[in-house]
Amino acid sequence: MLDISDLVTAYGKIEALKGVSLHVESGRITCLLGPNGAGKTTLMMSIAGILQPRRGSIRLEGDELLGLSPARIVAKGVALVPENRLVFPQMSVQENLYAGAYQRADKAAVEADIERMYGRFPRLKERREQLAGTLSGGEQQMLAVARALMSRPRVLLMDEPSLGLAPMIVAEIFSIIAELNRDGTTIFLVEQNAHMALQVAHQFFLMEQGRITFKGTPGQLAEDEVIQRAYLGARRAG
Amino acid sequence: MVDLAQNTIDGLMIGSSYGLLALGFTVIFGVMRRLNLSYGPSIMIGAYLGTFLYIQQGAGPLAVAGAVVVGSVLAGVYVERLCFAPMKAGAAIASMVSSFAIWMQLEQAAILVLPRHTYPFPPLSTALPLEFGPFLLRVDHLMMLACAVLLAFAVHGVLYRTRYGLGLRAIIGNPVAAHLVGIPVRRSVLIAFAGASAIGGVAGFLVLAVDQQVTPMFGMWATLKGLVAMMIGGLGSIPGALLGGLLLGVVEAQSQWYFGPQIRDLVAYLVLFAFLVMRPGGLLGEAPKVEIALPQGT
Amino acid sequence: MDFYLGLAQIIGVHTLLGLSAYCVLLTGQVSLAQAGFFAIGAYVAGMLTVLAGWSLVPALLISALVSGAVACAVGFPALRVKGLMLVVATTAFGEAVRLFFFNFTYQIQAGNLKLGPHGGEGFRQIRYFPENGWSTLDVVIFIWIVVALVMAALWWLDRSRAGAVLRAVGEDELAAQSSGINITAVKVSAMTIGGLIAGIGGGIFAHYTTHIEHIQFGVVLATFAIAYPILGGLSNVFGTLLAVIFIQGFLIEGLRFMGDWRNLLFGGLIVLAMNIRPRGLLDAGTTRALKRLFSSGKEPSGA
Repeated sequence: MLDISDLVTAYGKIEALKGVSLHVESGRITCLLGPNGAGKTTLMMSIAGILQPRRGSIRLEGDELLGLSPARIVAKGVALVPENRLVFPQMSVQENLYAGAYQRADKAAVEADIERMYGRFPRLKERREQLAGTLSGGEQQMLAVARALMSRPRVLLMDEPSLGLAPMIVAEIFSIIAELNRDGTTIFLVEQNAHMALQVAHQFFLMEQGRITFKGTPGQLAEDEVIQRAYLGARRAG
Repeated sequence: MVDLAQNTIDGLMIGSSYGLLALGFTVIFGVMRRLNLSYGPSIMIGAYLGTFLYIQQGAGPLAVAGAVVVGSVLAGVYVERLCFAPMKAGAAIASMVSSFAIWMQLEQAAILVLPRHTYPFPPLSTALPLEFGPFLLRVDHLMMLACAVLLAFAVHGVLYRTRYGLGLRAIIGNPVAAHLVGIPVRRSVLIAFAGASAIGGVAGFLVLAVDQQVTPMFGMWATLKGLVAMMIGGLGSIPGALLGGLLLGVVEAQSQWYFGPQIRDLVAYLVLFAFLVMRPGGLLGEAPKVEIALPQGT
Repeated sequence: MDFYLGLAQIIGVHTLLGLSAYCVLLTGQVSLAQAGFFAIGAYVAGMLTVLAGWSLVPALLISALVSGAVACAVGFPALRVKGLMLVVATTAFGEAVRLFFFNFTYQIQAGNLKLGPHGGEGFRQIRYFPENGWSTLDVVIFIWIVVALVMAALWWLDRSRAGAVLRAVGEDELAAQSSGINITAVKVSAMTIGGLIAGIGGGIFAHYTTHIEHIQFGVVLATFAIAYPILGGLSNVFGTLLAVIFIQGFLIEGLRFMGDWRNLLFGGLIVLAMNIRPRGLLDAGTTRALKRLFSSGKEPSGA
């Protein structure tokens, strides 16, 4: 579905991604784990077109995304739920959802999709007129997911959806992720919470210092080892 | 007592033009979070285009008004392309310094085309003032007030009733997230800039039609009045921009009456300074959370 | 020759003006009041030498103190506001100072001449240099001694603990505050130092031009004051000097042969410079590279 090869993104002289290649399979949940500063968010921002990679390629079913504007990338069918959610704080929940459907001209279908989102996230329906900035962290995360889904993406990218949320809410978010996937959404997920991520993921990658260092399915590597490397990075044997 | 009331009325009328200037400024600042010192000079370029047509071709007030607006928009877009579009996030001061440099450039361009210090500007209406009991109201002043109120409603309508406005508010809320939901941010910002310049152009035309003359200094004057009115009203608030303009107009009119024209501006600036320090959020805005990010050396 | 001496005077005085804004910018504040402090310095120093018959150096010291005191007094209320609010508040203050001098008249009779500030007509006949037999070269040397002293003082300040504190406040106010720095004291001090320097600069300016009037101290001069350090970069004082030479020497004087078209190009070049180097001409990276060049092999640790 989504093929990334030899992607290099740099901030000035510092390369945050040093040639990343990975593959996200259609209809599955792919997870990217790694310690802070490994370059996970940089990768997500590069796919979404916010950051401009130096070289490499990002293909969605063969279509090159590299060099397209963020708006064109959304039109191609890639939506990112960003780290820290980034809802539009001064706009109501409903307006946030309309903003998610910004590029769509099919008004009736947009209305229907908003009702579907309210069906899936009843809490958002209760708070539809409330300003998004006044929602709780978990509610904002749900809104950010719903907003991304409003563009009817073919691949949903999620950057640390569990960040800063209470354990109960995290469990809820992950059950939503699993549910979305069961309904057919392809998901590419970046997580710090390796334990939760490994429960839902079909396959996962480990990223350390701007490189993919492991690729496999959950169970292929002992969870302890994954967690060790995801949180702390590989032990430097010397 | 009649004087006090008449001064207040005059102040409100003049103030409505300040409000219009502030309205355009508010749109630019809301979207950019950056200070555009070339806002007034862009309008001045429009005014020079208008006055050029007036002198050379004998254009009527409406044609001149059109030329002022078109010229302001073109100059505004030029400023946006040069000073704001290419600047990276966090380089707000670089944008401000650039817009200052362009200000000098626009002033020079105006002087090159029309080198005399002042030029005549066509009046909007030469009708006699209307009398209401002891009070006098100038017709062109009334038009100014009407335009200010109408345009404020128009801006509000665009922001809250259209898809474009939804996108623009999203950009104001969080530019990165706006990109992520597929809003064409750069294009939307450019359109907002052009629209704000058009509002400034209308304001400029009305002010100059009342004064019936134009000088290159008008650019700086418009930037200062618009900025001051916007700050008094509260950043990012549309009704605040209008209210700030009206209040500034009244303060100026009263201090002119009581202290004379030389002291008028001095009083107005001192009031502004005191006001900003005591109430940093302005009349209707909230205290600004946005800071100007400085490039640091180390 | 006179042309270059005149240019050297302008560059020296504008460097002082730029440095006064540099101090304030280090703490993360953009002040458009510097032209106001500069104006106060100019009028005070001029009145002391012309009306009170003082000699120049004590007059400059007093003008620095007066400007510094005003800056300190303005600093306290003004620093309650930040960012754009501060820009506008300081603009308002600067304009208020300018308009004050527009309305300020204080003249005494000296022979058949009336001396002293005269409202909108300004303050003429500040003839200290010709009356005391200073040649243009003497004036230039004097100006650059002052500039060198101020730059050395700021250089030393920058490398001391106080400089680190100023920059800490500029980079992250909250973090600085939580590590026990008194933000208000730091900002007001920076404002005061800026006022002192602007006062000296203004005082010298009044004497080499011999004629000052309110219109010279407007928003344009205030914006130039912050444009210098921004264009030059905030990594050290030489950036400001470099930017003044670039703007006054190259863009304004060097392009004079272009006549009316100069200002068109002037704007374009500044925009270009800010686009290519948004952190200023002399940013931290360049400074390090230059140091490496000059320290010839010595360890250039940090900036």
